[in-house]
Amino acid sequence: MNPTAALKPGLIGGTVVIYLAAIGMVERFQDRNVITGVVGLGVVLILLTIAIAAYTAARKGRTPMPTGALVGLVAGGMVALITLGFEGLINAGVDVRGMFVSITPGLLETLEFGLNPALGAIVMALAGGTTGLVAGGLVGLKDEHLRSSIVFAVSMTLLISLGEPILRVTLGNLGIPTNWLYELGGLTIAGTIITLLAGFGLRWWLMGRKEKRQEIAAHMPEDTRRTWGRASLIAAILALIALPWVVGPFVSDVLGTVGLYVLLGLGLNIVVGYAGLLDLGYVAFFAVGAYAAAIFTSPASFLVTEEGETFAAAGFTNIWFAFPFVVIIAVVIGAMIGAPVLRLRGDYLAIVTLGFGEIIRTLVLSDWLAPFLGGAQGLTRIPAAPPESFDLRNPQHIYYVILAFCFVAAYISYRLADSRVGRAWAAMREDEDVAEAMGISVVRYKLLAFAMGAGVGSLGGVFFAAKIGSIFPNSFGLQVSINVLAVIILGGIGSIPGVIVGAAALVGLPELLREFGEFRLLIYGAILIAIMIFRPEGLLPNKRRQRELHEGAGSAPVELPEGASPA
Amino acid sequence: MNHLLELEGVSKRFGGVQAVDSVDFWADPGEIVGVIGPNGAGKTTLFNIVTGFYAPDAGKIHFDGHNLVGLKPNQITRVGVSRTFQAVRLFGAMTVLENAMVGQHTRTKAGVYGALLNTPRTVREEQKVHASAIDSLAFFGDRLTPRINSLASELAYADRRRLEIARAMATEPQLLLLDEPAAGMNPSEKEGLIELIGRLRDVKGYAIVLIEHDMPVIKGVSDRVVALDYGKKIADGTYDEVAANQQVIEAYLGKAGSEEQE
Amino acid sequence: MTAPAPAPTPTEQSSRRLRFERIPMRRIILIVLSLSIIYGVVAGSTATLRTGVFTAEDWQSLIINGLARGSVYALIAIGYTLVYGILFMINFAHGEVFMSGVYTAYFVAVAFAGNGFLNSNPLIAIAILLLVSMAVSVFVAVILERLAYRPLRGAPRLVPLITAIGASFFLQYTFRGLYGANVRAYPNIEILQGKWTIFGIQMLKTQAIVIVAAMLLWVLLYLFVARTKTGRSMRAVGEDREIASLMGINVDRTIVATFAIGGALAGAAGILYVFLFNQVIFTMGFLPGIKAFTAAVLGGIGSITGAALGGLLLGILEAVGPNLFLTGANVPSPNQLQPVIAFGILVLVLIFLPGGFVGASEEKRA
Repeated sequence: MNPTAALKPGLIGGTVVIYLAAIGMVERFQDRNVITGVVGLGVVLILLTIAIAAYTAARKGRTPMPTGALVGLVAGGMVALITLGFEGLINAGVDVRGMFVSITPGLLETLEFGLNPALGAIVMALAGGTTGLVAGGLVGLKDEHLRSSIVFAVSMTLLISLGEPILRVTLGNLGIPTNWLYELGGLTIAGTIITLLAGFGLRWWLMGRKEKRQEIAAHMPEDTRRTWGRASLIAAILALIALPWVVGPFVSDVLGTVGLYVLLGLGLNIVVGYAGLLDLGYVAFFAVGAYAAAIFTSPASFLVTEEGETFAAAGFTNIWFAFPFVVIIAVVIGAMIGAPVLRLRGDYLAIVTLGFGEIIRTLVLSDWLAPFLGGAQGLTRIPAAPPESFDLRNPQHIYYVILAFCFVAAYISYRLADSRVGRAWAAMREDEDVAEAMGISVVRYKLLAFAMGAGVGSLGGVFFAAKIGSIFPNSFGLQVSINVLAVIILGGIGSIPGVIVGAAALVGLPELLREFGEFRLLIYGAILIAIMIFRPEGLLPNKRRQRELHEGAGSAPVELPEGASPA
Repeated sequence: MNHLLELEGVSKRFGGVQAVDSVDFWADPGEIVGVIGPNGAGKTTLFNIVTGFYAPDAGKIHFDGHNLVGLKPNQITRVGVSRTFQAVRLFGAMTVLENAMVGQHTRTKAGVYGALLNTPRTVREEQKVHASAIDSLAFFGDRLTPRINSLASELAYADRRRLEIARAMATEPQLLLLDEPAAGMNPSEKEGLIELIGRLRDVKGYAIVLIEHDMPVIKGVSDRVVALDYGKKIADGTYDEVAANQQVIEAYLGKAGSEEQE
Repeated sequence: MTAPAPAPTPTEQSSRRLRFERIPMRRIILIVLSLSIIYGVVAGSTATLRTGVFTAEDWQSLIINGLARGSVYALIAIGYTLVYGILFMINFAHGEVFMSGVYTAYFVAVAFAGNGFLNSNPLIAIAILLLVSMAVSVFVAVILERLAYRPLRGAPRLVPLITAIGASFFLQYTFRGLYGANVRAYPNIEILQGKWTIFGIQMLKTQAIVIVAAMLLWVLLYLFVARTKTGRSMRAVGEDREIASLMGINVDRTIVATFAIGGALAGAAGILYVFLFNQVIFTMGFLPGIKAFTAAVLGGIGSITGAALGGLLLGILEAVGPNLFLTGANVPSPNQLQPVIAFGILVLVLIFLPGGFVGASEEKRA
């Protein structure tokens, strides 16, 4: 109807592509094969941008099929054109490499699809146009089944391709050959076609059965449903237990890291999600846990006496003995840090906790405390813990320890959420004054949350130290706090399943896709912004939290004037 | 110390404004006291002082044998003073029932261990909280009980006022402070409110202090009326005495013109 | 227990407990905390002074050093204060606004150094660098407001703060992607080398220039906010956004102007910063940003004068503090602990003086 509707998304899409190229993402991602020999991840990134631009353009006008495709074509074409213009500019000899380090011959090669400029331009225009056409056309497609199946097939193929590091090993361990599917880190052409068809077929079939399933579910008696729920929970637990042996040591290591972040996330979730305190210095407790564990157990620790007798000889032989003490220490430190600052207003509290995090990091790094904390050299030689057959250094073993503590933390969170304590937190989060007027000691409940968060965070630190065997100050920077925060915000503040999903997505994926490495914090930053703007309750929201966030936007709660402050 | 609540010479200053100026005030068990005065007379500030949100600059506050000065709001709630707010402040994201359950906080004990281990005592306590919340809500007939699982923010305005009172009741107070409970109500709702406040005293045995601009409501419920102006107490007595007080008439006519005729 | 009311009367036990809580743990911790800090500062300082490691001239030069870096903090702090005064949000990404300008201007400086312009026409060259830095910072600040913050007006308070943290990392790594991850040294500008003696005090030329330039910019800003229509709109919007808008003030434009002014000052601060420290890298905004925020809080957030005073004070404390407090206590490499001083001050100010110097109030609610 209105072709100008396509202009704005096209323009924005083009800018995004130039941005992605200029920060080096396109070139770096191109190293990763999606369909080996056909497209790399860099090109997929551009095509995805085009698809989203086209989709938004067609969506805006709610255009029916033929025009939708047209609008998509225009938008997609525009993105491609802008990209080509950018490429032409560089080719024309505008030398910007001195400034923009990421605009390299490699980038040009990617943008030209490894062909010569003219041919590359034609391919780019064609690919952009087609992608736009298809994405725009999908919007107008009446047939829900067809549309959904196409989208599903494409997403599933992409995921299976990106999941290569796990899937190839896992399938290999299960004795399933993967040569037909994967080649050089990407899908084979045959594998792509099979995956696309399988994805399409699967979704189509599922959609056909959807209504029937819903009907069955609706008529299922309460206790049958409960049995089913229990059965699936047990199945999930069994799967989690079997996991490390199925996926092998490398992926187990990644799982261990994910688990660590789940643990940290659950701890921070009590602080941020339940009590509503934005703690940007959560890494402080992670560090306290790791360092305290190392000091108690390592023969390199200052607690070793002159005679060479270790503190360990006094009974703290290993992590198992040390960790309850570590947790107690962390809880005490948490309470001591918390007590003076928890009266502060939310945003100030955030900055103060950030300050504490940085203070602890600086102290750990300093020469002053180096005799105790090892300074920049860190603390090494954290000994293995008995039994000998169960080696915490082995990723497939420590996985179970972390898993167990995740369960404990999840259980604690789950029980607390719906208790007197949880109600007090929820009330306090919504309106501190009224909570106080209802008899809730706001300071005490904040302190409780803060100390519990500290305890769980320190547990994460203990098993981080046990897992790695040596700890260094640079593992305890602000990034850790931000990572954990991003995990719980992506998943949904206050939501336990959200923490798991968040950790899997933000910690698991980047570990598997080494290409993400340097862009990790860029992506986290973008996620924090996008979630806050578009879906503040996160992917798997906690119901009550969702209501709070939407209430804030709609009918703003009437506030008494903040501080009848002296004029 | 014969009074349930007794204030002696309480003062509070904000910058250049003397919000409350050496006020003496008391309420006896089972008594309903109306507090009137033009806007800015210091009525809400007085409530905020009694409930511990502001520390008084001077003066004594005693309640049921406790010295309230220096106690935190939550402790004051624990000794038996509960309040509502001028602009209704409910926990909007909680259900009606949950709002009332929060009110039971001070009357229960379960902590982290109770919640984790789910001890029989915790279970019993949760049942008690639930029952008591239901009970408070039932006091309002069929206004709140059928809406137990709706969000507080979804309630009609008058029902929100009711829920706020129910929540305050759930704290099991001896003294209830109501800040303009009739604001925004229509005449028939005000009738209901007068009846309700009377019932709160008769059935629950609360002493009640209410701030109100609506004279028929004040007249309808108050055993005693206290008038404030510029932070000072200018009259204290029965409704008729206070209404005839020259200073009170001046305060209203000088400030707000015809408000007294309402 | 005189009450005949049927409501459950609080027991004797509860009243005893209440009495106990009149001396809360919090206050005890605070008192212990402040006493130990006072003791540490006094004992450390006397010990240091007794050793006589530092001469009077050393202290002088440390103070000048502190004033110079404090001037930079002050300029950045104004950006925090202005935005806080109008939107009541901490623009956590302001440090990156500061970084973006000076990092971009680096490439102009290198080009100028390459063709000799930098030293043949240093004043014009510096003016151009300043303009480029300010322009880029303004651009980044305005984009930030438009894309990240504007959609969130009226959201619960922590939402924009989380967004700002996200924006901070997003910008850092964007510039890392664009310009690379290396530390880069600004080319030397010959006329800035050497020392001056002013009022009998020897100081680096750069230090003197930084202090004077920052003062000049501050005065300009002060006049702008006090005298111009935009300045008045800014204050009005900060007072009450709705009423300001009813009075015909364009709220959106005023907010954009606020971000732009904060950005411009941050851009200028960037150039002054490299006069002192000479190096740029994509993470360079973080610490000055946090310190400037501390300065803003120290002076009383929302106040322009407070930001300036807070910046100077923080700069001096940071330069003098580690040497004065820690040397005597035999702490090795005390300057490593500078961030502890800065963050420690932040924490202490927020605990003891949440209103900053401008106004501290005990009552903050109800």
